[in-house]
Amino acid sequence: MLRSARAADGPLVIGAPLPISGAFAANGKFASLGAAFAAREAAAALGRKIVVTDIDTEGKPAPAARKLQEAMAQGTRLFAGGILSSEALVMGKEATKSDGVFITTAGADEITGSDCNRGTFRWSVPTFGAIAQTVRPLIEQMPQAKRWYTITPQYVFGEGLLSAAKVVFQEKGIEHVGNSYHSLAEKEFSGYLTNAIAAKPDVLLLLNFGSQSSDALRQAVSFGLKKRMTIVLAWASGLEQFEALGADLCEGVYFGVQYWHGIDSPLNKELVSKLRESAKMTPNYSFAGSYQITKLLLDAVAKAGSAESPAVIKALEGLGYSGLTGHEEIRAADHQIIKDYYLLKGKAKSAMKDKDDFADVVTAGKSFLSPESAGCKMQQG
Amino acid sequence: MTYLFQILNGIGLGMLYFLLAVGLSIIFGLLQFVNFAHGAFYLLGAYLAYEGVERGLSFWVAMPLAAVIVAALAGVTERLLLRRVYKLPHTFHILVTVGLALVVQEFVIIVWGPLGGNVAAPDELSGVMILGDFIYPQYRLFVIGFTAILAAALWWLLDRTRLGAIVRAGSESPQNMALLGYDTLSINTAIFALGAGLAGLAGALAAPMRGVEPFMGVEALGIAFVVVVIGGMGSYAGALAAGILVGVAQSLMATLWPEGARLVIYLGMAGIIMAMPRGLLGRA
Repeated sequence: MLRSARAADGPLVIGAPLPISGAFAANGKFASLGAAFAAREAAAALGRKIVVTDIDTEGKPAPAARKLQEAMAQGTRLFAGGILSSEALVMGKEATKSDGVFITTAGADEITGSDCNRGTFRWSVPTFGAIAQTVRPLIEQMPQAKRWYTITPQYVFGEGLLSAAKVVFQEKGIEHVGNSYHSLAEKEFSGYLTNAIAAKPDVLLLLNFGSQSSDALRQAVSFGLKKRMTIVLAWASGLEQFEALGADLCEGVYFGVQYWHGIDSPLNKELVSKLRESAKMTPNYSFAGSYQITKLLLDAVAKAGSAESPAVIKALEGLGYSGLTGHEEIRAADHQIIKDYYLLKGKAKSAMKDKDDFADVVTAGKSFLSPESAGCKMQQG
Repeated sequence: MTYLFQILNGIGLGMLYFLLAVGLSIIFGLLQFVNFAHGAFYLLGAYLAYEGVERGLSFWVAMPLAAVIVAALAGVTERLLLRRVYKLPHTFHILVTVGLALVVQEFVIIVWGPLGGNVAAPDELSGVMILGDFIYPQYRLFVIGFTAILAAALWWLLDRTRLGAIVRAGSESPQNMALLGYDTLSINTAIFALGAGLAGLAGALAAPMRGVEPFMGVEALGIAFVVVVIGGMGSYAGALAAGILVGVAQSLMATLWPEGARLVIYLGMAGIIMAMPRGLLGRA
């Protein structure tokens, strides 16, 4: 079978639907580099030329769906990308409709929950797990911090984080003293922070992502909130966010992350070492997530000995492998990858061992709803 | 009490919006030129201030220096490129300046990378003012005071000085000014450089509040146009009034209807256009 994959005519095309322009373009550009890096490595092993084609989703569902359809009309069937939940949800459906395979790093629970489908796989921990691995350990570490305030982007991803947080608050007897919703285009958080200050919380939990969480954190620090309460970003971008914010802003702040370059796993150590040597950069979350999902897709093609979607899907389902976060496993019932989520704490500039050593890992662990509890009813193809 | 704090916060926001928009308004009012590159000058001002601070300059040096460099670059651009399209319809203004904005944005990404950066507020202003339960960053207070002084100085310059009279006359009747021996082309360049320099200054002032990232110019342009349209194209006082109105509305909505805080700005703009097509203080 492997021989037949090697013998296939022409290059193997992987579509990388990513926000190359718009507010999340920085994430998209690093993700594009990650996909290309994985493809270069896999080409040698597969004995076949691999072409990764960037598809600019603009971070919006409508262009993402349209461009994915165009790529499929031109024959591309394998896709790795979709950073934002809203775009990932539509792309997964489109891919499945036309017998494609789509692996994503987006976070909304629906991706492997109520909207799960045969063609969609997800590497990242869903919002439920992110909250469980950030809010829960912090409540245990800070039993005196009983009043929490949330700031939430009003779309599927933010709603997922908020509802998961509310469940944990209720279970642990935490008083949720308020929430401010904001739009996905918001850049100015002073009004929301003023509301938060008025509620006098012990903890400010930021449930937004990317540059919005950076803006919210930057403005919260300028309002002196770091000295008055604990600040937590449930879903941070990791290294790229630390680099943009700087150590002084991040010191003492808690960050939930999908990936950290300091993870002690064979594949991660190898990636960090190779990338530092070849490109003089340390992998950040966007790079690493995209590297991992592209690698998974290509490993599945190699395992299946075919780039045909049904064979690739079959190869992925139930696959256990040594991933960036250690042992990872693809749950066949809902196509969710079971992996660790990390809680980091920003360290002082004076304590940094090198320019990328922004944080310590406080805790790590796996938290996933069962496919049934997540609402996944997978239609078998 | 919360509403009072949101109003105070909104005034602070509004002064920044005013500074962002006033250059756009001046350029349109005096040159009748639609400048879609205004956000790019804001972006450049922010990044030049960031670069200055990164290179060890004090923020107090980096901030005005960034504005002066942006004004100089804008002056050169006006001489080499923009003056060739002044007499063409506004669609050409839009095409040329949108293109210019995209070039500047890509230049910023090439030079500084796709990730953003942080600019620390100067040490003297890094704390907060505490008024009962209200906490307000000292740096934002400085921005309000500085912008208010700048607004007064601009008004005085354009409305009360001989230079201002020449500039206004040049915009009304360049032919007559040329007959009187004034170099109207140089006046136009100076106006454009002043407007762009104000955008650069707004960017440099905003950097410690918002950080810097390559796409900040697009968002700034949107807000600047909203303020100019509400205030009235070309109206200096309108830009001030509209800036504060937008800032206060946005801030108040964060308490009243948070998820609609941005929507209300655009709805408000649509309402004002329907009721007063020339904006609050636009010239007939």
